[in-house]
Amino acid sequence: MGARIAGALLAGLMTGCAGAPSTPPEPPVREAPAPAPPPSAPDNSDPRPALPPAKAPAASKPPAAPAAVPRKPEVAARKPEAAPPVAVKPEGSPPLDLEALEQRLKETNAIGLMTKLSLKNQVDDLLEQFRDYYQGRLKTTLAELRQLYELLLMKTLSLLQDGDPALAKAINGSREAIWAILSDRDKFSKLP
Amino acid sequence: MKRNASRLLAIVMCAVIPVHAADDPKQRKDLTAVIALQGLPCGEVVGYEVKGDNDYVATCKDGNRYRVFVNAGGRVVVQKQ
Repeated sequence: MGARIAGALLAGLMTGCAGAPSTPPEPPVREAPAPAPPPSAPDNSDPRPALPPAKAPAASKPPAAPAAVPRKPEVAARKPEAAPPVAVKPEGSPPLDLEALEQRLKETNAIGLMTKLSLKNQVDDLLEQFRDYYQGRLKTTLAELRQLYELLLMKTLSLLQDGDPALAKAINGSREAIWAILSDRDKFSKLP
Repeated sequence: MKRNASRLLAIVMCAVIPVHAADDPKQRKDLTAVIALQGLPCGEVVGYEVKGDNDYVATCKDGNRYRVFVNAGGRVVVQKQ
């Protein structure tokens, strides 16, 4: 039970001084959101047009027409691209497979046995702090716990980034998913 | 006499085996990581002695020495020597 959590956290928490590792993985994540904005942008634009339409519909027509012509081919070209980004998001969620991450952490040769055990100790300590926090036995804030979580994640990532970059990336990709569990009392209490 | 001496030497060697210097790069890296995880100054482990199972005394590049071992509770402990 605790081992799963530990593995999950390790996966997410694994980071030492990984300011660097976290940065590279972020870009891809940002790329994914980038495609999303387009769809949302139209939504935002919807309300805007709703206001101006009455003002100057004619003025908007000229620019709209020329823009529409070049956009058509772009849209056509982007259609296939748009699909992948959507597929990327689901791929981002799979890293939430805590059991798989835990197993990969146990099996990786990037870090030694003592290091794995030490990391597990720290993950267990952090989980204990979350339990105390939710039970009102620890006077702290979720923001402070988040800092501890990020620190441990960075330690883990820094240890893995050279020896097992794929695992480091997977863990970093699960960062928010793991935090979503930790920061939610109900989800946390359901952890095995 | 010679037989007794050789037996005695063999016994002494066996007794000394648990504590010996070793130089496995992977183990040095492991010890370096463990010490760093505890936030202790070290830089890099340049050598270590094996005291027993999961029990080492690591010598750091900066001169610090730490005993790194797993206690009965399964926790990794780093003690400055």
